[in-house]
Amino acid sequence: MGKATVIPFGPQHPVLPEPLHLDLVVEDEKVLEAIPQIGFVHRGLEKLVETRDYNQFIFIAERICGICAFGHSMGYAETVESLMGVEIPKRAEYLRVIWHELSRVHSHILWLGLAADAFGFESLFMHCWRLRERVLDIFEKTTGGRVIFSVVKVGGVVRDIDAVQFAEIKRVLEGIKDDYRQIMNAFLKDSSVKNRTVGVGHVSHEDALALSMVGPFARASSVNYDVRMLGRGGYAELADFRPILDDQGDCYARCKVRALEVLQSIDIIEEMISRIPEGDISVSVKGSPVAGSEASNVVEQPRGECYYYARGNGTKNLERMRMRTPTSQNLAGMTAALKGCDLADVNNIILTIDPCISCTER
Amino acid sequence: MEFSSEFIPLKLDEVPSLSDRMKSEHARFVQILAVNTDAGVDLVYSFMMGDGALQNYEVKGVKKTDVVPSITGNFLAAFVFENEIHDLFGVTIEGIAIDFGGKFYQLAQSEPMTIISPAQKAAREKAAKAAEAKRARAAKVAETEYAADHPDAIKQMKQKVSGIDPAQMADFEERFAGTDPEKLARIKAAFAAKAAKAAEAEQSRKSKRETRAAELENLDPEKAAKVRAALERKKKAAEAKRAVGSSNVERDAEIEAKLAQLDPERAAKVRAALDAKARKETAERAANTGKDGE
Repeated sequence: MGKATVIPFGPQHPVLPEPLHLDLVVEDEKVLEAIPQIGFVHRGLEKLVETRDYNQFIFIAERICGICAFGHSMGYAETVESLMGVEIPKRAEYLRVIWHELSRVHSHILWLGLAADAFGFESLFMHCWRLRERVLDIFEKTTGGRVIFSVVKVGGVVRDIDAVQFAEIKRVLEGIKDDYRQIMNAFLKDSSVKNRTVGVGHVSHEDALALSMVGPFARASSVNYDVRMLGRGGYAELADFRPILDDQGDCYARCKVRALEVLQSIDIIEEMISRIPEGDISVSVKGSPVAGSEASNVVEQPRGECYYYARGNGTKNLERMRMRTPTSQNLAGMTAALKGCDLADVNNIILTIDPCISCTER
Repeated sequence: MEFSSEFIPLKLDEVPSLSDRMKSEHARFVQILAVNTDAGVDLVYSFMMGDGALQNYEVKGVKKTDVVPSITGNFLAAFVFENEIHDLFGVTIEGIAIDFGGKFYQLAQSEPMTIISPAQKAAREKAAKAAEAKRARAAKVAETEYAADHPDAIKQMKQKVSGIDPAQMADFEERFAGTDPEKLARIKAAFAAKAAKAAEAEQSRKSKRETRAAELENLDPEKAAKVRAALERKKKAAEAKRAVGSSNVERDAEIEAKLAQLDPERAAKVRAALDAKARKETAERAANTGKDGE
């Protein structure tokens, strides 16, 4: 038995894509406790809502995060729409779901690449990111942007996708599916990958519930919760939606849940494309939110449930806009997952919650 | 499962019991947020129930002196939000499981979310004014509707107007013969209000003069004489000013002379136009006084 030592980890660390600091209390090679610290990139974006028109703020909402940019603009727009009692056309709802699911595909493939990098499989990382490029190309063709799309507005969307583009998207997704299955095999069946992930960073089902975990992190501990199953917006039109669950609660399970969610998202996109109704893509929204009116909303981002809150004050500016991102909800779960792990597995475990610290601090 | 969202008011001292109740009902903790208001900071605790109902419990107006109990005992995930609210809004929260003691965010400014920018303040005041104007307009519309439903109310108004001198009254009847009775009644009411106001002003002037005279009596004779002389000068100046105002009559005569030179048909047209303009101005003035009166 050695003496307990504190090892500072991050915010600058080769494996961390985002500035997160951890104080790791270790004894020999075992982590006894991990205390997270964030706060290096607080930008005060929520404060900006006071000086921006509610239509302008959508562009700021999008820039909260570079990966779930579309989800944030969609969540913000949905919240303001429910604040002002606006109902958007069906076609706009479908288009939002299609772009949102495409974002999930690209986000999960990006994450798989980062995970591969974290456990030292560099060529797998390259393969993942190469595949992700094809999704970004779809974004570029349909919206004009690769990261920030600016296609959502309060009252609908600003761009339509025509039948020719839909056919193209379907064709590209079919191609991605084939290549993706090979990559997925490497993650789920390769023995050297499994050595790094199976049984590492275990979180039990009870802990996952008690720590209010969300997203794939929680679903890997068989927490049956996904905002998409609440049937909000276009998701209400899906014939059948069941969250992908796993009961192992380790890094391998989290990897598996995300890997399978990519295929699920592709299926959702194909279903939406086959059933999308004709019609308008937006309605005009006039006036300002009533003073004192409030609305709350949840959206399933690639990282999990994201909560939005808005309060109007009778002006074009909102009184308050709040985004609670999935990572801030999962920080407590992460400390639980890190308890008792090997020091060498710390980076791996941190990555499997898919942290987005810039989202968390806004 | 179907999504629904509701806001439920809560008292500050009920927070621990809410947290215990939510724990026993196996609700999932969603988040805590704060809103800065004039009356203090509003806290919103959100929980997701098993059936997809999102419940937001709202504690209004938490003061700087209040101590908010932490809910991290039941829901550890709340430590992020409680530290955040402490750092950004300056709310004191007691017993956080992982307490950063005000060092959670690296901030250049303490409690940045409680500062209201001048632009925001101005916008809020403007909105309050606009809301007030809207309310006033709605009240006016309601009044006209009432008048339309109760024609005898107009009659009563007419009786009120009887305070105006008869010549002016006859002038009214003639000038606004074509306008609808509601509008006429409003204009008349405005004039009556104006007349009443003028009478009141006269009354107050008179009483002022009397008090001033009484004051002068009490002053020593030399000073009183000085004050009287100054008042006299002021009065003369006012009279001179009024004389300048009456030059309108001269202008009218000039226009008349010019018109005489024009061919009669065109002169008639110009005269009609001038007349219409004058009438419009009077009506507008009347409407404006009406607005002020209300």
